Amino acid sequence: MVIEGLFYTEEHEWAKVNGNTATIGITHHAQEMLGEITFVELPAVGKEVEQKGELAVVESSKAASDVYSPVTGMVTKVNSDLESTPEQINQDCYNAGWICTMKITDVSTIDNLMDSKKYEEYLKGL
Amino acid sequence: MAKNDSLGRFLFNSNEKAAVGSILYEQHLKLIEKNRIAEFAGYLMPLWFSSISAEHSAVRESAGLFDCTHMGILEFEGDCAQSLLNTITTNDTGRLKVGSAQYSYILDAAGNVLDDIIVYRRAEKKFMVVVNAANEPKIKAYLEALQNDEAILDIEEPARKLDYIPVIRDMRDCNRGSDCRVDIALQGPVSMKLLFSMIKGAETKQRFQDLRPFNLIETELDGIDCIISRTGYTGSKIGYELFVHPEKAAKLWALLLEKGKPFGILPCGLGARDSLRVEAGLPLYGHELAGEFNISPFEAGYGWAVKLEKDFFIGRAAMHKKAECCDMQVARIELSGQKGIRPVRGHDGVLDEKGTCIGWVLSCAKAGEKQVAMAYISKEIIEENRPVGLYYLARNKGQIEKGKKDKVEKNERLEPDISGRIVARFAKF
Repeated sequence: MVIEGLFYTEEHEWAKVNGNTATIGITHHAQEMLGEITFVELPAVGKEVEQKGELAVVESSKAASDVYSPVTGMVTKVNSDLESTPEQINQDCYNAGWICTMKITDVSTIDNLMDSKKYEEYLKGL
Repeated sequence: MAKNDSLGRFLFNSNEKAAVGSILYEQHLKLIEKNRIAEFAGYLMPLWFSSISAEHSAVRESAGLFDCTHMGILEFEGDCAQSLLNTITTNDTGRLKVGSAQYSYILDAAGNVLDDIIVYRRAEKKFMVVVNAANEPKIKAYLEALQNDEAILDIEEPARKLDYIPVIRDMRDCNRGSDCRVDIALQGPVSMKLLFSMIKGAETKQRFQDLRPFNLIETELDGIDCIISRTGYTGSKIGYELFVHPEKAAKLWALLLEKGKPFGILPCGLGARDSLRVEAGLPLYGHELAGEFNISPFEAGYGWAVKLEKDFFIGRAAMHKKAECCDMQVARIELSGQKGIRPVRGHDGVLDEKGTCIGWVLSCAKAGEKQVAMAYISKEIIEENRPVGLYYLARNKGQIEKGKKDKVEKNERLEPDISGRIVARFAKF
């Protein structure tokens, strides 16, 4: 399941870009591979992170998986619901399962991301 | 030429082959996408069908069906099969009655555990040995070395030889006639009812119903020839392993799923297999047995399966020493595991009340709202209900930068991240 209009990384994060703001989460494929998610380590608001830098950790009983930042920017808001209901990522990874929002400080980093079509092709090749 | 080193350790280099689908692979693809199937011990095996927690609960409340067709099954047959097995396994096959089974170990001359196994006595002179899938190539190589007089039996008496040359048959090999077998496990409270309904004849039904743990019967399930043994790897009081001809395995699998549906029986993958065995306290080779700590059967809690009073078995001299000096032991620990609590993982530190590291987590799994871990810790600490702390190792680079350790040593002082308590070594369900 891939949503049109979002940007994607090879590590299976998605970014919904609106001007210089991005909402970030992990894709359907990523949550499917992890299985039942039981813990999310959210970033601190104000954290500055480079594209592909460590942003969050998502853990299921089987694995701890880093979430890398799709863009270079600063964390502006986090989805603290995930602390008590991490399974929202399994249930609704593109909406209720969002992880954080960021202020994009280098918009050129968006150019390194895949659109939904490219990401779908990328998934087929895995 | 011996294939042991100077210490008596059996040397084995595995040649990794490309993984192949289990015999039930096509059946699994009817239920799940390929991305739910992963490589395990050279086989492509399902990780989960519905979810690990749903499958775990199904086994505790109803029953679950497991593809165990990757497990190695070897037959030892002949006049000397019993005494031969008594030499190469640690438990006493002399006490093993026809129609019963025993947990045991195969050791090398240095006393290293090569595998933990179950030995089934099907007839006076016919035994079936089930070995771990991951260890099957090694065990086959070891048995071959024994057959060819290429393995040391006794470090204290290097000239010692096997009295008999064993005849060993791979029972999963379909080219070896009609009596070939693969393992499918049906585990959980309603498994008895389901199998009972598939057995014909009052007398056989009665024999099945009377089947005690670690006993087996040979019969038919809806016309499919089957060895039914009351054994398993889930801690279920009621659970069976069904040994069926490889060509009939898919049929039996589908039949059990169809007939089990009204009972709430679910197909289960490797995920639930692991969480169930951890909850029950059962060891996994390479984790709670052997592995990086070279954990002995005594440390794992299975000293009773090593019969030191036997005159001889391979590894006996070394086992004698290990029985005397073990200050570490495997313990089971319960921790809270609600959503939002970071899962405990292997190598995380276990701390006493003062925050001193007393050992490490070996395996951990979620069981309902709890986490259950098995840990390798100082024996003197182990006491039921005693509280312990857990130290999470760094899960990524960022956490190391923040000061989290990625490795902890015994006796190190640490701040616990969460607390738990030591519970009974084993649990039955």
